[in-house]
Amino acid sequence: MIAARRSTTILANLVTWSLVFLISFPLIWMVVTSLRPQTELFQIPPTVIPRSITFEHYVKLLVETPFLRYFLNSMILATSTTIVVVVVGTLGAYSLVRFSYRGRETLAALVLFTYLLPSVVLIIPLYLMMVKLGLANTLTSLVIAYTTFALPYALWLLRSFMAGVPEDLESAALVDGASRIGAFVDVILPQALPGIISTALFTFILAWNEYLYALVMVNSDQARPLTTGVMNMLITSFNIEWSLLMAASVMMSIPLIIIFAFLQSYLTRGFGAGGVKG
Amino acid sequence: MTCRRAEAASAAFDQPSHSEPPMTISASQHQTRNPLERRYALLGVALIAPTVLILCAVIVYPLVSAIYLSLFSIYTPTLKGSWVGLDNYVQVFGSSGFWNALGTTVIWTVGTLLLQIVFGVAMALLLNQNILFRSLARSLVLFPYFLSTVVAVLIWRWLFNDLYGILSHLLIQLGVVDMPVDWLGKMPNAMESIIFVGAWKFFPFVVIAVLARLQTIPEQLYEAATIDGAGVFGRFFDVTLPQLKDVLTIVILLRTIWDFKEFDLIYLLTGGGPVNSTRTLPLIVYQQAFGLNQMGIAATYAVAMMLVMLAFMLIYLYRARRQAA
Amino acid sequence: MVTVTFDKVRKAFGATVAIPGLDLAIASGEFVSLLGPSGCGKTTTLRMLAGLEQPTAGQIFIGDKTVNNLAPSERDIAMVFQSYALYPHMSVRENIAYPLRKRGVPKAARPAMVKAAADLLQLGPLLDRKPRQLSGGQQQRVALGRALVREPKVFLLDEPLSNLDAKLRAHMRAELIELHRRLGKTMVYVTHDQLEAMTMSTRIAVMQGGILQQFATPAEIYHRPANTFVAGFIGTPSMTLADGEIMMDQGRPVLKLGTLTLDLPPDHLNERPDGVRRVTVAVRPEDIIIGAGAISGSVRLVEPTGHESIVLVNVGDVGFTVRVAGDTVVTAGETIPLDLRRERIHVFDRETGRRLNADRAAAADPVRSRLAV
Repeated sequence: MIAARRSTTILANLVTWSLVFLISFPLIWMVVTSLRPQTELFQIPPTVIPRSITFEHYVKLLVETPFLRYFLNSMILATSTTIVVVVVGTLGAYSLVRFSYRGRETLAALVLFTYLLPSVVLIIPLYLMMVKLGLANTLTSLVIAYTTFALPYALWLLRSFMAGVPEDLESAALVDGASRIGAFVDVILPQALPGIISTALFTFILAWNEYLYALVMVNSDQARPLTTGVMNMLITSFNIEWSLLMAASVMMSIPLIIIFAFLQSYLTRGFGAGGVKG
Repeated sequence: MTCRRAEAASAAFDQPSHSEPPMTISASQHQTRNPLERRYALLGVALIAPTVLILCAVIVYPLVSAIYLSLFSIYTPTLKGSWVGLDNYVQVFGSSGFWNALGTTVIWTVGTLLLQIVFGVAMALLLNQNILFRSLARSLVLFPYFLSTVVAVLIWRWLFNDLYGILSHLLIQLGVVDMPVDWLGKMPNAMESIIFVGAWKFFPFVVIAVLARLQTIPEQLYEAATIDGAGVFGRFFDVTLPQLKDVLTIVILLRTIWDFKEFDLIYLLTGGGPVNSTRTLPLIVYQQAFGLNQMGIAATYAVAMMLVMLAFMLIYLYRARRQAA
Repeated sequence: MVTVTFDKVRKAFGATVAIPGLDLAIASGEFVSLLGPSGCGKTTTLRMLAGLEQPTAGQIFIGDKTVNNLAPSERDIAMVFQSYALYPHMSVRENIAYPLRKRGVPKAARPAMVKAAADLLQLGPLLDRKPRQLSGGQQQRVALGRALVREPKVFLLDEPLSNLDAKLRAHMRAELIELHRRLGKTMVYVTHDQLEAMTMSTRIAVMQGGILQQFATPAEIYHRPANTFVAGFIGTPSMTLADGEIMMDQGRPVLKLGTLTLDLPPDHLNERPDGVRRVTVAVRPEDIIIGAGAISGSVRLVEPTGHESIVLVNVGDVGFTVRVAGDTVVTAGETIPLDLRRERIHVFDRETGRRLNADRAAAADPVRSRLAV
């Protein structure tokens, strides 16, 4: 019986890790390709294990292409979006959870509804709006556009995190002499902080990865974020420089890797709170 | 709140002493008569005001705009348009383009959803076991979901590359095929490819949701089933699956909506090709607006797409309510 | 001095009325328990006093100031919650100092006040710990300390002992009594445990279904319950309650309980029934005497608890619960004589549940003489 149990565990381990390997293979391949010298790359048939490793593609990426500008743009964009969305969302979530006023339930339902809207529907009017406001081709237009999907989502997450803070704590603070805002700052914020960080991380990733809005709103290299920048930069050239592309892919994923390495518990906490945008 | 309502619900001891008439409760269920409550309510409204303002500006207004725009014919570069009323709708619903795109979208959605669910549940079941370095395995499985679609597409296009792509190479090595496979340029390969890549990218969502639920299933249920004689499959179908029903319902609903409206992945992978055979509704909207410069028609397609989604959601809600009754 | 008054206070949640109308006047320095089963409205009443809920109608006074429109922070009260509600991210010291911070007490004065509260409750060595590092009893004391540090006008306590084990609860009860004696503040205490209410309060407000049943000293409530609910709720084991009839026979009230006919003292009731009056009758277990008497009963069950035994005796259809000394020899199935102390029989109108006994001058509270109220 025990031997059978152990063999099933061995089997389970084998199957699982094979599958994990298969799933991760594309990512591994990405890294491998990015480190391969140019000469090795265009071998037919392609070899699986590289014979030597080089960082030449990374250097080329940083030095000869607007990659750094794109990276900076994405940083500014994602950070700004995150700050705006988290601040507005935290206040809104607090309102939805701890206050009662006419129309509150309807608002909550509407927020949920907007979460399910296709961005394709919104891009055209938003594009026209940005043109009218003179904001076409700016990062600002993207920050505004990103709130369409980031804010409802953040609200949904933050709402469940806030609801998880015991009501008694706020009541105690009120009795102790705090105003409602005082209780919010002294008690609720610290308690909801892990949830807020979780939401901030999700929002950052969403903004970092966004493609369609960037495609529609921004046309100049000055304001392009990484997603459209990388696609634009390398695919317009006659020869698709795959090694450069793979290096760019790795670099683009750096924030994600950092978050995964150090802050993963926050991410999984967010999943528990209410699902993630696709 | 529930305990206090229960207080009220328990039968009151009849005391004859009060002669005052019963107070009529105002139509709004909230007691805003008290100034303190009013103060709080105002604060609550103030806190949600920024959210409401932003959402009105970036969602409500554009939504209404889109419907309005669909009644015009607009030339994108100049943004000049003229009223056409419902002509756009006639054109769209009468065109094979719309219905083909709808069909394509449905095929893509159903296909990738199936794979996502099957792989997702399977992976969740495996990760629920005591695997060595389980958290590492979980991280690696989760990664594709958080990856930028751009990165995912680049990786897969590289893998699919006809000359240097490793996939074709491996298949040739294994003797499955003798020529490199055209993964993206030919049907049915193209549809299969996007379905598969979509599954790879999005199935971790299913894994995490299902895994979280699996971990709350009490061990005793499985023990009881084993004592009753259930084998591995028996335990899965009789214990696990019923417990997963609720999670799976939500997951399927969410993923269906999100897969249906997916633009980035398909646009970047195949661009809708070969020859529009992977052109889903979101892609048509984009193409009409920025490829064919027909913004009005694009808006019409977008509204039509929303109507389709609305119809599906209503059918689903109707069914759900029927079942609950 | 600080009184607490509820004047025609009503609370409705939408269409459901939790509290139809409450009139309650708590004197300064009293320890009043709001006692009743869960769902009776006691916690709602306390929260309205705190300002965490708003009354639908009526006024609440602290002192002679109406507080309806004041936020909790403006009422100069302190509250101890059932869950203690300690701020998890703050140390014990910071928890206790929080009210001082919020009230603008100058920074220099705070440490001394925190120390005073901490010393009062023996929290000294725990001051730098976080709440999650404390036991239930310690957390409870921190919650008390946080309430005491400011010396507010009224203390509110919402079932603070219910999460403690029995031994700790007994210990904390004594501490709370001592605290009240020392500080002399007005305290309003919510509980469903009658033992707590009886031992700690100057007066008890018994509530049921949102309605005040009786507001009196523990002795009064025990010896002269105002209605059948109070009679049945107070006392362990519960009183025996039975339906019967009263009629006059040659100027004396006669009670018929099933097969029993009992003569009652002539001035037992406060009104003479004309004809047959339907009543509910209640007797405390210690007011029934076994071993002698004209009534014959059959023993159904004996529950020995050590220093006493609880005996269930059937007389006809009526089952009496009797308390006897532990060394009494009684066995189930036996037929035994018993008697009821007639002057201790509580009589209530069967329809309204109202007390019909004529109670003369109030008996002296034999346990403690608290403030005269």
